[in-house]
Amino acid sequence: MKKIMEKVLNSVADQKADGDLIFSGSKSLKMSSQKGSISTYNVSSSQMLGIRVIKEGRVGISYTEAMDDESLKLLVKQALQNAEMNEPNEHETILDLKGQLTDEAIYPEPPVDISIKTARALSLEEGVKTLDPRVVAVPYNSYAESEYSSQYLSSRGRGTSYQDKSYSITSSALMDDKGKKSSYYDFHIAHTFEALQWNKVIETSLLHARNLLDEKSLPTGKYNVRFSEDSLKSLLECFSNFYSAKSAMDKLNPWASSLGELVMSKDLTIIDEPAHPGAFRATRFDAEGVEATSLTLVENGTLKAFIHNSMTASFYKTKTTGHAYRSPSTSLQVSGTHFVVKGKNKKPMPSKYLEVIQMDGLYSGANRVTGDFSVGVKGYVWEHGQKVMTFGGITLSGNLIEILKNVEVVGENLMASTDQSFFAVPLLFHGLSVAGTG
Amino acid sequence: MQLLKSNVAQDIITHGLSCGAHFVEVFVERTHNESMVFKNSRAEDTQSGTIFGIGIRLIHGEQALYGYTNSTDRDELLRITSLLGARIGKSGTSQTVNFETLNYPKIPVLQDKEVDAKYKLSFLKNIDLGLRSDKKVSQVALNFIKKKQLIEVYNSDGLFATEERPYIRLIHQVIMKDGTHQSEASYGPGAIGGWEFMETLNTREICEMLLKQASNTLYAPACPAGKMPVVIDNGFGGVIFHEACGHLLETTSVEKKASVFWDKLGEQIAHTALSAVDDGTISGAWGSLSIDDEGMATQKTNLIENGVLKRFISDRLGEVKTGHKRTGSGRRQSYKFAPASRMRNTYIEKGPYELEQLLSSVQDGLYARKMGGGSVDPSTGQFNFSVQEAYLIKNGKITTPVKGATLIGTGPDIMKKISMVGQNLELMAGTCGSVSGSIPTTVGQPPIKVDEILVGGEA
Repeated sequence: MKKIMEKVLNSVADQKADGDLIFSGSKSLKMSSQKGSISTYNVSSSQMLGIRVIKEGRVGISYTEAMDDESLKLLVKQALQNAEMNEPNEHETILDLKGQLTDEAIYPEPPVDISIKTARALSLEEGVKTLDPRVVAVPYNSYAESEYSSQYLSSRGRGTSYQDKSYSITSSALMDDKGKKSSYYDFHIAHTFEALQWNKVIETSLLHARNLLDEKSLPTGKYNVRFSEDSLKSLLECFSNFYSAKSAMDKLNPWASSLGELVMSKDLTIIDEPAHPGAFRATRFDAEGVEATSLTLVENGTLKAFIHNSMTASFYKTKTTGHAYRSPSTSLQVSGTHFVVKGKNKKPMPSKYLEVIQMDGLYSGANRVTGDFSVGVKGYVWEHGQKVMTFGGITLSGNLIEILKNVEVVGENLMASTDQSFFAVPLLFHGLSVAGTG
Repeated sequence: MQLLKSNVAQDIITHGLSCGAHFVEVFVERTHNESMVFKNSRAEDTQSGTIFGIGIRLIHGEQALYGYTNSTDRDELLRITSLLGARIGKSGTSQTVNFETLNYPKIPVLQDKEVDAKYKLSFLKNIDLGLRSDKKVSQVALNFIKKKQLIEVYNSDGLFATEERPYIRLIHQVIMKDGTHQSEASYGPGAIGGWEFMETLNTREICEMLLKQASNTLYAPACPAGKMPVVIDNGFGGVIFHEACGHLLETTSVEKKASVFWDKLGEQIAHTALSAVDDGTISGAWGSLSIDDEGMATQKTNLIENGVLKRFISDRLGEVKTGHKRTGSGRRQSYKFAPASRMRNTYIEKGPYELEQLLSSVQDGLYARKMGGGSVDPSTGQFNFSVQEAYLIKNGKITTPVKGATLIGTGPDIMKKISMVGQNLELMAGTCGSVSGSIPTTVGQPPIKVDEILVGGEA
């Protein structure tokens, strides 16, 4: 592939342009079961090559899934044509970096026969059904494995190579108890087949589905709320534009002019940590071939930095933080790696609070410019350290900018999201609006 | 020119059948995508690209085996077929299938008219200027999308079908700011067709509508929370039916009993005021198709008549698993997905009332002028939707604008509470994400009145 990429870049140079290429390839296997037998079985292999050209300050993007000579010529031609349409952008350049960076993970394990994989995949349905007669279906269950590789090459001489492999499993429980219905699903991801936690996804799905059979609404009012790690990750990721220099450039970041200001509780520090020890996979470099380093975004409540690529860095006259993101078919963006929310001045848990375990409709119910959000939620009511009730059928509303100002730290240990990409100490948010009964 | 030589498709199908499959299908796709993001009053991101690939599906009983690749190489395609066939673990008869080209009624599609790129740019510049006529506008983003999808379907029934589908869409987004107050408005018309669709848009009216929406909600207080009657206006209001009922009628959910409506065929599942259809045959509509991605001619499917469930939305595998006949609804985002039963243009049919009659029947409630997106859990029917533009109703009149409203409930419950249906039916383009990827779908409805629904907002 590298030879093909070099050939394409030579033709870009012939047109007196700069450029960079991203190649991505993947292979995957996925199966799921229904009524005790494998009902779907998918295998795939695919590849895509994407180019970004910069000529006379104008940037153009093009991509292809065909790698024959004609398609590659068309790739360059279209990118140059697209560049002609765009206004010159003095801030977007191909970085003058050289040398090769490699991050090709290998996870040694003995080969696993397909019959074993199939038997375990079947257990994701069977395991849930046999443990509770009220389970009427396991609508979401799957075993998947995928291999992913990518290569980057720029006309300035930077190359990167990335390779990874993952296994994932999903299970769910749809329960019916005398007409009352509930459902819940869980998943797990690992680098080896052996590390998959089959029982965990089965038991977690069942545990919450059983509890949700008893869900009740709550009286409309203001509540203190603790989000599960997955829910908190979803909430903070939905508003990740708050930390994005690209969103600030585009006037879509409400904190655009808040650098150096107190934006949240002084008890909170937020770091983007590419190589966090608990992360599923460390990030070594970004999509421009810049080595990734840890970046403190918020320190003791004060906004210290935005995440940058080279374009946003040039615009704001600063240095890239190594957070460029680009797939073969997209333009240059920014993206965080692993958010780590640290806290201090731990407070005791209040006598009563809500624990949110599931949020629905977050992305449609959130305004990323204003910070307003309103979502359907389910979870548990805690009183005096005991779960006393399961709630559902309510909406939770608030404004992230406001609720971050009086959040309390209620635990010391960092907790990880299920996908091991987000880490936070337990936090308690005050005064969120619940719409329910009454 | 065909994307895949028919003798290669023939070899794949013969091989699949010899592996014991009851049915074999080859789906070939080439799609050319173009897009331009016009932001900060200039073209910022112009790109294009082509995706190409082949999906192979073997069905054995209720088991579906699917594989895909970018390669047209016969040996690679046969290797994937072998890989899938090995899962069946039986051998079948080796039979050669002769293809017959499907003749089907082509839905009237707008012409795929093309214009010069610089003309497109000037078109977008004019909209940007129109939207920036209000000094409080802090950002305008226009996302122009155009694609041409060419598909070929071969199957072991001897079918060969092909269709070319041109798509065009322009998503407008405007951000308004005044001190600490901010608001947002968006509008995304789209069609199956070419540039001539853009020429039908009244850009002056669109700008006025977006500026009015953003202005009205700029200083709006938070919506009060609680149960109340809600009048939902036409157009994108139809997302409520799409999410709360439409997904629950897809055999993808029905076959797993993961739909609360799976055993309700012929039963009263909605108020008698409500009739709804899923229609793939509307001329130029964003969710229309002449054939589905399984090569079946599309159709108009009456889902609910006067509140009674009449039909499910079904694909080939859905028919095998549930017995509900196919409705030309087997759809997928691309060759990377096996087809599944999916909606096309889904809407509530018009009723007898004027909007004013719906409003005047409400003492205290909410008028949802424009809905945002939403989601649903088909297994329990629980849904929630955001409202982009909302006003309080007092004594039958629209009064204060409010922001941050969401609607939450369950499909079976809300369908019975839609008691009044208006006359002014409008359809709106959208993108629906589900098991077979993101596909163009249309939602729609006339204004409707829901007698009671839980509104999320400020407590």
